[in-house]
Amino acid sequence: MFVIRRLLALAGVLVVSSFLVFGAMYAAPGSPENFLVQGRTVSPDVLAAIREQYSLDDPFLVRFWNWITNVLHGDFGQSLANRQDVGEMLANRLPTTLMLVSLAAVIIVVLGIGLGIIAGTRDGALDKIIVLGSNLGFAIPTFFAALILMSVFSVALGWFPVFGSGDGFLDRIWHLTLPAFALALPSTAVVARITRTAIREERDSEHSAMALARGVPGGLVLRRHVIRNSMLPVSTIVGVHIAGLIAGSFVVEYAFTLDGLGTLLVSAVQRKDFAIVQAIAIILVGAFGIINLLVDLLYASIDPRVRLGLSA
Amino acid sequence: MSAHILPTHTRPAGTPLARFFVALYERMGVLGLIAIAIVLVAVLGAVLAPVIAPYDPTVGSVTQRYSGMSAAHLFGTDQAGRDIFSRLLWGARSSLTGPLIVVGVTAVFGTLIALVSVWWGGLVDALLSRLLDLLFAFPNLLLAVLAIAVFGPSITTAALALSIAYIPYTARVIRSTALRERNLPYVQSPQLQGISGAVITVRHLLPNIAPLIVTGATINFGFAMIELAALSFLGLGVQPPAADWGLMVSNGQQSLLKGYPAESLLAGLCIVLTVASLGYIGEKLGGRAAAGRKA
Amino acid sequence: MLQIDDLSLTLAGKHADLSILRGVSLSVGAGEAVGLVGESGSGKSMTLRSILHMAPVNATIAGQILLDGEDVLGLRGEDLRRMRSRDVSMIAQNPHAVLNPVLPVERYLVEGMHDAQGLATRAARVRAGELLEQVGIDEVDRVLRSYPHQLSGGMLQRVVIAGAIAGKPRLMLADEPTTALDVTTQAEVMAILDDCRRELGMAMLFVTHDLDLAAAVCDRINVMKDGEIVETGVPEQLRDDPQHPYTRALMASRPAGITWTSTGGIK
Repeated sequence: MFVIRRLLALAGVLVVSSFLVFGAMYAAPGSPENFLVQGRTVSPDVLAAIREQYSLDDPFLVRFWNWITNVLHGDFGQSLANRQDVGEMLANRLPTTLMLVSLAAVIIVVLGIGLGIIAGTRDGALDKIIVLGSNLGFAIPTFFAALILMSVFSVALGWFPVFGSGDGFLDRIWHLTLPAFALALPSTAVVARITRTAIREERDSEHSAMALARGVPGGLVLRRHVIRNSMLPVSTIVGVHIAGLIAGSFVVEYAFTLDGLGTLLVSAVQRKDFAIVQAIAIILVGAFGIINLLVDLLYASIDPRVRLGLSA
Repeated sequence: MSAHILPTHTRPAGTPLARFFVALYERMGVLGLIAIAIVLVAVLGAVLAPVIAPYDPTVGSVTQRYSGMSAAHLFGTDQAGRDIFSRLLWGARSSLTGPLIVVGVTAVFGTLIALVSVWWGGLVDALLSRLLDLLFAFPNLLLAVLAIAVFGPSITTAALALSIAYIPYTARVIRSTALRERNLPYVQSPQLQGISGAVITVRHLLPNIAPLIVTGATINFGFAMIELAALSFLGLGVQPPAADWGLMVSNGQQSLLKGYPAESLLAGLCIVLTVASLGYIGEKLGGRAAAGRKA
Repeated sequence: MLQIDDLSLTLAGKHADLSILRGVSLSVGAGEAVGLVGESGSGKSMTLRSILHMAPVNATIAGQILLDGEDVLGLRGEDLRRMRSRDVSMIAQNPHAVLNPVLPVERYLVEGMHDAQGLATRAARVRAGELLEQVGIDEVDRVLRSYPHQLSGGMLQRVVIAGAIAGKPRLMLADEPTTALDVTTQAEVMAILDDCRRELGMAMLFVTHDLDLAAAVCDRINVMKDGEIVETGVPEQLRDDPQHPYTRALMASRPAGITWTSTGGIK
């Protein structure tokens, strides 16, 4: 029930935000046909033909209706700049972005939670180093991290390629390793710190102390009570950050000149190619909503208080 | 509390100024004082840029390309022969004013929306909540990029769009606090005496949520700084040849790969230090919760 | 059996050190119930927790705690774990904080018997059911499957009592076991606790702020104030002829109209 309600809400949000995005593009200053003819002087007949071809003279609501029904059929229209099929362009770009975001998500989970657990369970130098690193790490913009990683590991050491997304699965991973680390860095820092705090709170919790006082071995208490319970707040933070990678990926793709959705969006914005901008915006809002939904479901599945509350 | 206190420290004496610094130190710690100093330096650099910058930040000389560090050029010059030190000083202006606009607009409208929905409740609250939910559906940077797509690249557009993206965070946290405060006797009793809602809000509610607003703004400032710099890096924020830290990191990318790291490195460092300092200060003041950020 | 000698505890603070316990001495004989009565903050809980090494990390402890002649404060590692799992058990004030909120009740009981005391899992499961019956729970299976938030404080405190008697320890430490509960279940839970203790012949150190309650269930009572024990005696003596002004104040502050019988029920 909860899932269906949330999916319906997401669908509603998608429709309303499509309307807003489409409306904003419609109301944007400057007419599309001027952009299409790119400053050349053309006869009114040609202009009219262009307006006809792109249905620019239809009323707004008609155009919105046509657009959204086409989108539902998988037709995102044509690029204004080069008349390519937008759906096809997106399909070509999607794998890079998907893989970049997935790799970064893995790094955030493994490294962020891992370092957080180390810092949370150990007192002393290691903890202090991780805390300091996390305080600095969250302040490092992804594009700056990208540049530093690129100049050290690609240019100076030559371990990784400087630009490009690679072909084939392994080559792609090789190409996307540095971008993924750059993209994951700030989130990893935050997740590490939140994990550390959560672990320390659970270490101080009465139920952990009582488990020890009942003679349950320390290692078991750490795993079963401290780490397990600390993952409840951590899981939502991780989810928020993975969802946030969607937007962060624009910047990293741009820094490494990867052929992902982000670079396509940025160039489309610069060229006012609204067909592409609209399509990517809707896809990203959808992906953002789905990740957030998945995170809430994950949270509900690991916390009985939430799970039983939902089914009741 | 009946426990016995064994005194180990005594109250500090000295001039009021000295006492202020001791109090500041006790509140913020050594790192906190360093953070405050870093922010002050950045602000001073931005304010005094016209006075202390040795060169015009946008004019270079072809003969002076990539000059290393020297007395004439403290941090050297970039690929267009422009003085990097001067550009960093001028860059502090747009790099700081952009986030200032964001947190200002966010604080004002976030607070307004929160107070209005708490005070009127019911339908108004429900509608405003839906509106905020809708804004939450967009990743911040995407909202900014969309606004730039419509209105064209500029730092003002970027800052205003980001403000709109941040409003839900601020509104959410202030709403929940205001909701709690509203039901307390000190707010309830004047209401029963027939004093108007607006007066109560301004006189009683606002002072009690003000610390929250300040802390939230401190933390959001850092986020805004990074995201605005990212937009400038993408060519969608501050436009060349103006100086801006984000733009300088982007501008220096080719130089960096050719072996002249100064421009990107220093500009990036300025961002990192400022954001880290603000984050640390915000943390000491009350933490991320005040910014409405889960993270 | 339990012998606390000249126990002192100081918490290191940022600006000043807090002296929590100063020269506390008391003893509990085998099978005996001893009360430790005082206001909150008097140090009675800290005394109790010190026995199980549950004092905060910034605490400095001096003095001696002997359990059947064994130096408790010196125990480390496996020896400490053995003492905690077999010899001494504890019942804390708020059962909702004691049980891990994301694990079902059965895991709590099995953990104590299997992971701490070394009983086989299968045997521990069977025993968990028996223990719940012993503490007067009817719907054993439902309670075993429940998560802590689904049960009332009174029900959950019975689960904690069941866990505390599972290993038949010699000494039970009870820290305000009924204070956090609903008034209507307080007497019931106290009665169950007292019954179980007597049945198994366990000694008990009972911490409470309620002198009357302590008088009803304890053989001897220590009155504690500001980290020191100010008076010790049998209940009748404290009730009829309190020596220390603080004890007199505690007696005077009790609510009129309710008196505890020796088995813990309300008369």
